[in-house]
Amino acid sequence: MEKGKVAIGYIVKEKFYLALFSGLFAFLLLIGTFGFTGTAFALPLGGIGDFFVEFEELEGANFQLLPHVGETGETDAAPMVRNKMDRATIKGLHIYKDLQMPGTNQWVRFHVWVEGTATINGLIQDARFISANLSFEELHVREKNTPNYSENWTQDAKTIKITDAKIITDYLFQSAVSLEGAKISVEYIDEPEIIGD
Amino acid sequence: MNFREKRRRKQLEKLKRKYERLQNAGKFQKWKNERPFWGGLLAILAAILILYIPIHLYAIAFIPGSLVFVGFLFGGLIFIVGFLAWFYPQFSTIIGIVIIFLSVLSIMGALGGFLIGSILGIIAGAICVGWEKTEIHDLDLLDDNFKDKKVIVHDSSSNTFQA
Repeated sequence: MEKGKVAIGYIVKEKFYLALFSGLFAFLLLIGTFGFTGTAFALPLGGIGDFFVEFEELEGANFQLLPHVGETGETDAAPMVRNKMDRATIKGLHIYKDLQMPGTNQWVRFHVWVEGTATINGLIQDARFISANLSFEELHVREKNTPNYSENWTQDAKTIKITDAKIITDYLFQSAVSLEGAKISVEYIDEPEIIGD
Repeated sequence: MNFREKRRRKQLEKLKRKYERLQNAGKFQKWKNERPFWGGLLAILAAILILYIPIHLYAIAFIPGSLVFVGFLFGGLIFIVGFLAWFYPQFSTIIGIVIIFLSVLSIMGALGGFLIGSILGIIAGAICVGWEKTEIHDLDLLDDNFKDKKVIVHDSSSNTFQA
């Protein structure tokens, strides 16, 4: 047998499993804590095409509306409006998305229902169509002489109240979201809902 | 033969097989064997997955109150620490703990790379924690010691197998 100095790296199973299970335990603990309080951090939803957001009532603080050109599921650049709010509480929230099953003509609709109140911090939403009753407090509509389209025309308000809303959304981001009594369901549908194309 | 002896025999046989394989191995194989290569590689892959969400949300990363910046920080740190595992194998335990810690926390600001990034990071960290290196100077000596049923002690301070 040949002789010589050789360095051999190997994994000590006990240490490996101890570290692995400790890590997974900490991970599940963190997810469990978020699950228990219904909180998810930094939740983005975009690039999947139009999805519908409906709610009975939304109360938001530090509202801002900006012109925006953004990506949708069908195109890289589509005109839309960007809504920003520091805080929002929503009652009767219902989000749904229509998708065609791959390789078939069958359409399905994915629903997310929130029976309680949804509390959102740091909301950013890009919408292509809004149908709702709106009321503002301290509403400012400004125009600015700038070639930057996103600053050219803006609208902001201290508070906003939206009722009976239906919004076609293409992008949604929340820094932190808490959903009380969220339910997810899927149903078969004959054809997708199309509004405002 | 009790359980411990069985396990030691198994470990020695594994070491012998590795020793024989590495005698004629190429440079890369030897380089790979001297560091927690797979741990570092998995950590880098986990970092790329974790960075996916913050990179797509870079436009809002610096808005006050946004957690996206934190996602950038966690993903970037896992990437760097994964590389360090290759170049500083002597610190593999500490590096592994840091990778696990950051992977768990990356659920904030980066959704843990759709959870897959976090799980991959935890596995990478565990590999780094469990990784050890030993230097075998003479395989015959190791054989004799084993045949004579002498106790073979793993000296963790010098990382060598001794009779």
